[in-house]
Formats: sequence, structure tokens, C-alpha cells
Amino acid sequence: MSEEETPTKVGSTRRTVLKAGATTTLAAGTPLPALLGEAPASAAAAATATSPVEVSLTVNGVARPCTVEPRVTLLDALRERLGLTGTKKGCDRGECGACTVLVDGRRIKSCLTLAVMQQGKEITTVEGLARGDRLHPVQAAFVREDGLQCGFCTPGQIMSAVALIGEGHTRSDDEIREWMSGNLCRCSCYPNIVAAVREAAKEMS
Amino acid sequence: MSAGVVGKAIARVDGRAKVTGAARYAADAEVRGVAHGVLVMSTVARGRIVALDTRAAQAAPGVVDVYTHLTMPRLTVPAPTTGYFKRFVPMQDENIQHAGQPVAIVVARTLEEAQQAAVLVIVRYESQTPQVVLADGLGDAYVPAPGSDGTNDYVRGDTGAGLAAAGVIVDATYTTPLQHHNPLEPSVTVAAWSGDRLTVHESTQGISNTQNALMQALGVPRENVRVITPFVGGGFGAKGPVWPHTLLTAAVARLAGTPVKLVLTRAHTYTSHGHRAETHQTLRIGAARDGRLTAIEHVVTQPVSRSDELVFNSSEPTRMLYACPHVRSTQRAVRLDLPTASFVRSPEAATSHALESTLDELSHALQLDPVELRLRNWSAVNQETGAPHGSNFLRECYERGAAEFGWARRDPRPGSMRDRDGLIGWGMATAAHTAGGRPGAGAAVTISVEGTALIRSGTQDLGTGTYTVMQQIGAQVLGLPLHAVRFDLGDTNFPPAFASAASATVPGVGSGVVRAATTARGRVVALAVADPRSPLYGVEPARISTADGYLHVTGQPSRRVSYRSVLRRHGQPIEVTSDPAPAALGYSTGAVFVEVHVDPAIGRIRVRRVVGVFDPGRVLNRQTARSQAIGGAIWAIGFTLMEHTLIDPHLGRVVTPNLSGYLVPVNADVPDIEVGFIDRPDPSSPALGARGFGETPMTGVTAAIGNAVHHAIGKRIRDLPITQDKVIAALS
Ligand code: FES
Ligand code: FES
Repeated sequence: MSEEETPTKVGSTRRTVLKAGATTTLAAGTPLPALLGEAPASAAAAATATSPVEVSLTVNGVARPCTVEPRVTLLDALRERLGLTGTKKGCDRGECGACTVLVDGRRIKSCLTLAVMQQGKEITTVEGLARGDRLHPVQAAFVREDGLQCGFCTPGQIMSAVALIGEGHTRSDDEIREWMSGNLCRCSCYPNIVAAVREAAKEMS
Repeated sequence: MSAGVVGKAIARVDGRAKVTGAARYAADAEVRGVAHGVLVMSTVARGRIVALDTRAAQAAPGVVDVYTHLTMPRLTVPAPTTGYFKRFVPMQDENIQHAGQPVAIVVARTLEEAQQAAVLVIVRYESQTPQVVLADGLGDAYVPAPGSDGTNDYVRGDTGAGLAAAGVIVDATYTTPLQHHNPLEPSVTVAAWSGDRLTVHESTQGISNTQNALMQALGVPRENVRVITPFVGGGFGAKGPVWPHTLLTAAVARLAGTPVKLVLTRAHTYTSHGHRAETHQTLRIGAARDGRLTAIEHVVTQPVSRSDELVFNSSEPTRMLYACPHVRSTQRAVRLDLPTASFVRSPEAATSHALESTLDELSHALQLDPVELRLRNWSAVNQETGAPHGSNFLRECYERGAAEFGWARRDPRPGSMRDRDGLIGWGMATAAHTAGGRPGAGAAVTISVEGTALIRSGTQDLGTGTYTVMQQIGAQVLGLPLHAVRFDLGDTNFPPAFASAASATVPGVGSGVVRAATTARGRVVALAVADPRSPLYGVEPARISTADGYLHVTGQPSRRVSYRSVLRRHGQPIEVTSDPAPAALGYSTGAVFVEVHVDPAIGRIRVRRVVGVFDPGRVLNRQTARSQAIGGAIWAIGFTLMEHTLIDPHLGRVVTPNLSGYLVPVNADVPDIEVGFIDRPDPSSPALGARGFGETPMTGVTAAIGNAVHHAIGKRIRDLPITQDKVIAALS
């Protein structure tokens, strides 16, 4: 990492996000400096990227203070810092939808945003849907219609479905299919997911 | 037995845990003080490491340590019987056998710190040009020695004579590409040592295999290794074998003196856990004018790695399915600088695709309806062994499937069916996959003094419904209501079970549960008839029935006593454990029918309709079985129309190690899928008449799609996937 690529202040400008995004993507792939024949960055340069900051995240209606480095994604903050492991990581780069959560009612992929950007917003995860023992209608419909097998995509599917019903994209099965296509299900429960969303939407209307 | 517990559409018992986020997968395990591991992968495909510089990585914040072949302890290569198929363990020397081979592991306090430090590891290689293109190596193909599936050169009769006697001969060459499993959960190992005892939370399809491989690799006694896997985020074969990252994580956790969690990145999964090998297949099929097959020659050539010889895309359908006196089926291998290939959901799909597509070509050559062609070659027996199948309702599948699809309305002329925006094609094929025939499983049944049952087996639930159907089987055999039975799995402290693979769970674990539950029920009956205070006192045990939590005299439902009161009087729980017993190989079949729509202007294919009717023996749970059949059909859409992993022909690296480069079906790609079952028990099954089934429904659908595309456009595309560019090229 060169000094320039290091996010220097906490904030939510697009530039910062892209830079921080680059940090994680690089780490996931080939050791680039080795490939490019560059000298490794100094440990000191790395240190500036990692000064932790105090944030407070409002998750499922509860304010949750935590200490995160600016580069920590919302997904990793939820899973690794707040112990909310219901939200899943399938790809860490916005391709699978397993990490879908609601932020101020909108569905987003929590692997593509930083925790520090989400202060003061209402974050809802799969753990926040049921009321005590009573499942949310979308959760109940997923069980009833067998909209899941391994269950790994399911939290993301359910969060997407909750948002989609709010968005009003349930006028036909085709519309549901289209608007649920950002959530991959490798067990391939798609027809049952469509049925679950359709039935839950009816119930909720 | 209670009526109706088995066979019903029962919602999965783990559904609530999965929809609330409460289900804990391996990466969700709470392990105190866990550090994070990240792999560094080789960037060359063939060569050796000549220099390593880990100083910057080691000095980076939060780093516990960085491990390489220079610092790793020596690990024993576990025997293939443990499911560790790779014939070497990486990070033991400087040699590189494929791109994306682990060369270092960074362990740090947080994931971000480990990821950052992994970028700082410098590795220099001396590399040679890898050979990774199958087509270039066909001249070097050889027939490997017999493997786990038996001989690689199977001969029945004399195909020369069979072809000489044929009225029509069809020759075809098909290819299928390299593909990856891509379960939504990337593989995970969380390893925690306490003294010389190791606990591993692992995303695996086989906890016993993982335990055995770790024991051998690390040189520790089996009882010191515990593997825990209550939930798996899909496997499809990726997590069936044991792979290096598991052994390496356990080894570094010991060195680091701290528990370590290693979650493969999506990109790393492409070289860490096997793949479906590319195939090149030639087929020559001879038939009499009336359609009866006289000979099949089927040669399948696929790559193997430099270090091993695993051949998984075996040609069972060619050998077993159709009545044909003269068959030769040969599996050839070509050594390439690729990672070890392995099995992927429905390994027989690749060879079935070529066989069922060539049969479609034959039906055209004969001007004979493809359903009729298959009916004329239906076999009552396993053609390879000559032994009868336990049961076989494949003919009924053809008939019912054709009726439900409306096949009789098909105009057989290619290109003859259209709608306003394009061409319509109807295709069909036979679904068939071997099931089970593996070492099986044991189970432990405990009936509490409250009259409830806990059943445990060291098996797994990959989403296939193990928790649910085993609870059903237990309830059925014991005669308890479903809610009075609990089934627990995923812990090597439970009786051992074979990996959840090869459609072996229902026959293997199911029969283990049946055996243990039958014995336990017998004990309860014996107590009831021996107790002078019991209404059943003195009755012949054979005349006792059990249902809904009661034991009663058969034919006299009012002369009864509850499980609870028998156990209460007994004053202590009843415990029975069954040992693993091998389950016989089953063969589950079906008939599948597909409608595609092709837009000739842009070459786009949409699958519009799938109808499948299957014969899996008795259906244990209509809902979970239907879901698996739907899943198989959708996998077939991916297999036939989109999925392929690109390897750089010069560098040997995966070019598409992600879910935007490697396309899998999404919701909008998938039509309604109709699933039917014959649902007649297989009398030879030790699992209440049910056979293994998970892998059958993907087979057949692949060829049915290809055959439908041919019916729509009049051209045969023999190289998968059938992508838009190929359709446009075929039409122009
Ligand atoms: S983990 Fe965020 S989209 Fe896949
Ligand atoms: S249920 Fe397994 S990925 Fe969707």
C-alpha cells in the first residue's frame, strides 16, 4: 500500500469508499507488490490505515457502540464485532447478496459499505425481524414454502424480500424474479423463494 | 408404525433457525480469542519458490505470525481413504504444482490486519510454462489403473460386432467445461487447541473424514480431534473431500498458540477445493432400424493433476442404463498443471449429457420419437451386473412425464414450433444416477423417561433435509409423534457416518436410524409385555404395534399403554447404538422434459418449462425431495447454458474466480419447474423403501435442454455451455 492509497479520514465520500474497497480486494487476490516487483510498503504506512475509531451503530433498534478501523465493512462489523452472525458473507464483493441488510429501510449489501459510514442510520438484520417467538410473515413464508435448503443465502434473501415488498415489486411472479435476482441461491430454491415472497406480500397487504 | 409421518410434506425442522439467523455455521462459531488466518496463493502454476520475504508482513500491525514451508511443521499426507485426495500437502516444500496453491498463511488479530499483511508477503518463483489445455494434450491420454469406480476400460460383448450389425450408426463428439461448485458458504476452518486436544468447526460434508485426515496429518490420536458441523452452507461436493486449508489451519493454530479462523475468500475457493473436470467425449452408437441398441462406444477424456489420478465423471449411465449387448466405456486421463479435480453435484451429469444427447441424434437418424427410443431400450436389470434393480418404474416416469408435459403435441421437425418472438424447442432425456453403496452410518437412540427420543448420528445436513427426514424416520419406526423425536448431527462424538455425498445419506444414515430405532422399540415392547401392571402384559411382542406415542395390541387400539408410562415405570432411559453397515448401491431414475425459447436475433435461450417425474423409491418427505429436484434442474440450467471456469492457457490461472465472471443461474433465469414422483417403495431398501436421490434430478435435464435447443434451431451445439455466441454462429 502506498501512502496515497490509504484512507486518511473517516467519512463517507465515494473516494474513501473506493480506496478502502481496494484494500480488501487486493488482499483477497494475488500479492500485487510481489507481482509488480515493488518493494513492500512499510509497516508504518499500514498503521495509519488502521487507527481505530469509536462508532455507534443502531442495529435492530439498539445503539451498539463499537471500535472499528475505518476500513472495516459493515458486514464484518456486524459479524466479527457485534456478534450478529445471522448476516452472511458469500463473496465479500457485492456479487451474491448473502450480506443484504436494511439501512433506513433500503436493502444494501453490507460487504460494500463501511461501518463508519452507517452511524446514525437504522440498520436491520435478520435477527431483528421476528417479534419474540412470532416470525415475520416473510420468515414464516420461507419456512412454509421451503424457500431454503442450506439456509446460507436465506438471511439475505429474506432481507431483500422484506424490502422488495415495501418497494411494491410483487405485482407478478416475473417481477419478483427480476427484483430478487441480486440474491444468489446455489441450492437453487428460486421457485420456492418466489412463492414465499408472493404469499408473504399477500399476507402483508 | 405410525401412519403418515414418513411421506408427508413436512416443513424442515431447522427452518426456524435458518430464517432467524440463529443457525450457526462454521464461521459463526463463538470461539474465545480467535485470530484470523488468510492464505497467500502461488501466482505461478508450475515451478518452485526461490525466495520468500515475510518481514514486512510480520511487522504489520496485529500480525501474530506468518507461516511458510520454511516454518511449518512436517505434516503427513493423509491416506485417500480419509477423503484427502490430493497426493501432497502444500507448504511442505518449495514445489508449486498449480496456480493458487497456498504458499503462506498470515495469522493476525483481526481479519483486516491479516488481509493487509497477506499482501505484504513477497514470494519469488522460478517457473516453467504450464500445460493446462486439454485439447493440446489429447495425444497423451492414457487409461488410468482401476480406481474407486472400478475399471477405467469397461467392456461388455464385442462392440465391433454390434456396430457391424447396426442399421444406423451415430458418431458424435461432445465437450463439457471445467466447472466449480460455488456453494454460497466458502469453506471455513476454525481450529482451537486445548493442550493436545483439537476442536475444529468445519464447513464439511464429512466430519469423520475431516477427523481422520487431521489425525493422520498431525499425528494425534483420533479421540483428540473433535469436528463440529451443525450447519453447512451448501457443499455440492466442494466440502466432500478434505482439502489442504483444513490441515494447514489446524497446524498453524497449534504453532500460534491461539485459535485460528480461516474463511476462504471466494477467489481462493477456485483452487482450494477441487472442481468438475473438463471432459472430451466421443460416442459411437449403433442401433437396429427399430431403435434397439446394438452397440455403444463411449470414450471420456479428462484432465488429472500432476500429483494424482482421480477420475470422477464416470460413465455409469452408459454401462448400466439401457439394454445393449455390446458396450465399451473408457475413461482416459491427461496430466495437466491444474489443481486436483474432484466430484461436483451429480458427477454422472457430464457423461449422461453426452449419452442422452447422442441418443437424441440417433432418434433423428431413425425418425423415431425420443421417448419411444428410450422405451424400446428400457432395461429391467442393471446392465453392468445383470442383477435386477430393487424396483424400477422408469417406464412409468416416461409415460407420466410425457403426459404432464403434453409431449404428444410436439412437431418433431426442428424449427417447426414458433411463437411471435422466436423459436420453441421441446427436448427430453432420461435422468439416472447411482445412489448410496457407501460404508453407511451408525446412530444412537435414547428414549427418555418422558417417552421422547433423541437420535444422534455423526452425519451432516447440507440443506438436503437430513435433520428433517431422519426425525421422520425415527418417529415412524418408534411410533412416536414427530415432535417427540429430535435428531442431532454434526459432531464426531456421535456414532460415525459416511460423508454426505453420493446420494448416500438416505440409504446410509436412514438405515442406521432404522436399525437403532427398531432395536430401541423392541426393548420398550419387551418391557411393556413383561410388566404385570401393563395392559399389554403377556402379549406376544410380535403382536404389538406402536403409533402416536402408544404401544397397543395389533387390531385392538384401545388395549394400549403410552411410551411415557412404560419408560416411567422402567425408571431409566433406554439407549441403543447401531454400528455402520454398508448400504447397497441404488439406482434412481426419472424422465425429464424441457421447453426452451430461442431468440434467433440475439441467440438468447430461455428455459421456459421443466417437467420431471422421478422414481426414488419411497419419498420420505415430499417437500424436501421436491426442493432437491428443483435444485437439480436449476443446476442443469447452469451446467448447460452458462457455467464454465476459464483458465488462462499460458499462465494456468483461473481467470473467473468470482461470481460475476463465473455465472450461475439467478432467480430470473428460472421458470416454473414441475416435479412428480412415482413414490413406490423399493423393497430392497433398508431405509423404509427409500433410495438415495439427491443427484438424479440434475442428470437428464442438461441433455433435455440441449435437445430442446436442437429442436428449436435445427443445429446441434455439442460444446457446453450453449452460450449466445454459439447459437448465433450456428444460425448464421
Ligand atoms: S457477501 Fe456481500 S454480496 Fe456477497
Ligand atoms: S439455501 Fe443454500 S444457497 Fe440458498
